[in-house]
Amino acid sequence: MSTDHIEEKIIAFIASKVENVDPATIDKSSDFETLGLDSMDRVQLLFDAEETFGVTFEDEEVKNFSCVGDIVDYISKNHSAEQPPEA
Amino acid sequence: MRIVVTGMGVISPIGSSVDQFWNSAVTGQGGIRQIACFDASGHRSRIAGEIPDFDPKSFLSGKQIEQTDRFTQLALHAAKEALNDAGDLSGYPARRLAVSLGSGMGGFSTFESSAIRKLQNKSVPPFTVPRTMANSAAAWIAAQHGLKGANLTCSTACSSAANAIGMALDLLRAGRADAVVTGGAEACVLPLTIAGFEALHALSTGFNDDPAHASRPFATGRDGFVMGEGAGILVLEKEQEAVRRGAKIYAVIAGYGGACDAAHIVAPDIDGQIAAMQAAIEDAQITPNAVDYINAHATSTPLGDVIETRAIKQLFGDHAHKLAINATKSLVGHTIGASAALGSIATIMTLNTGVIHPTINLTAADPECDLNYAPNTALHKTVRTGLCNAFGFGGNNATLVFTTPPDS
Repeated sequence: MSTDHIEEKIIAFIASKVENVDPATIDKSSDFETLGLDSMDRVQLLFDAEETFGVTFEDEEVKNFSCVGDIVDYISKNHSAEQPPEA
Repeated sequence: MRIVVTGMGVISPIGSSVDQFWNSAVTGQGGIRQIACFDASGHRSRIAGEIPDFDPKSFLSGKQIEQTDRFTQLALHAAKEALNDAGDLSGYPARRLAVSLGSGMGGFSTFESSAIRKLQNKSVPPFTVPRTMANSAAAWIAAQHGLKGANLTCSTACSSAANAIGMALDLLRAGRADAVVTGGAEACVLPLTIAGFEALHALSTGFNDDPAHASRPFATGRDGFVMGEGAGILVLEKEQEAVRRGAKIYAVIAGYGGACDAAHIVAPDIDGQIAAMQAAIEDAQITPNAVDYINAHATSTPLGDVIETRAIKQLFGDHAHKLAINATKSLVGHTIGASAALGSIATIMTLNTGVIHPTINLTAADPECDLNYAPNTALHKTVRTGLCNAFGFGGNNATLVFTTPPDS
């Protein structure tokens, strides 16, 4: 799975959680604070990513995540196959 | 000081607005169908009153949908209509705008789906708890509409909405709020709730191939209730303030009475039902003979409809035969913690229109159910005082009294 594909999915998840942000303006350098993601949004984002990419985020790693690229890179290194969407 | 109803909203198996709900009700169009939201083939009861076309995306963002159970979404839909109907409440301080909502099961859909995941050793969605908690709907209504006063949730099974509306009345009478958004919401057409009520032998199982005739309060051949879902919301405020701001006044909420059987956890008890009706009538400072109409609890169980009929006859005496009575559950099924909210809206619409919606599927009445239940065809009658009954598991009985607006 390409990093671009992971990034695309993560940006789509973020776009569903924030208002007034054009997804086209989000990239790997976008930080959560500026995007307006609150702490629960970030928790939900990680859950969505776990479900989609079959990864498990370790608490110790997660607390250092501050931007989109942190999640994308973690998934690139740790993912198995993409999970099929649940019914 | 009188408390009045100035806004109404509803979403139900027979309509997603008060107008749709009422038009379907008076023309006797029921909403019981075979269960579509999950595969019910393994269940003995495979029918329900589902809301077929509910689309939360039409009024909630993706994030809001992610964070809310269906019962909250239904409550938000009805609250939006009710508050829009009530008009401008901005003259009241936000801290004086309260919410009092009923739900028997709360976010049970979320509980069920998350429990399945947990039992499969999967992670649980982060919003499992805030979606499941019973006060989720009341909290979301407050957040969406800036209602910063007391925020209460009442969970007394099938009488939840009646007690929630009664609590709203008490908040206003006690001077603890200037306006209260109140009612009930339920969304438990789910495998676990259906299985649970099946295990109690409480659900209809003999009409799976003929769902339209399954919910048949007071009729021969009834074999249990049909699960339903929905939400009904009222806006209550003091009469003088409603008049001052030029609000439309639908009805006076004149009385509320509650009584517990303090006996069996699920079996109905005639004394508790009588006590609740009596207390509500006394609270309204009227006599039983002043009552014209009763929106019965009437769930279509073999025992419950007989007990309620006996309770009405014992309390009202000869006057019982002059009462117009109907069963909203014949149309929508049993919406549990929302049922008294839907019943209250039907009662208020009757006060305003002089039309008593029919109890459908009542071609042959049980000989033990011998009152006037508006069988199959709407009745036309001036109704000045109406009761709404709600009797729940836990022996929890509650009755509300509504009367026509002051100048009608």
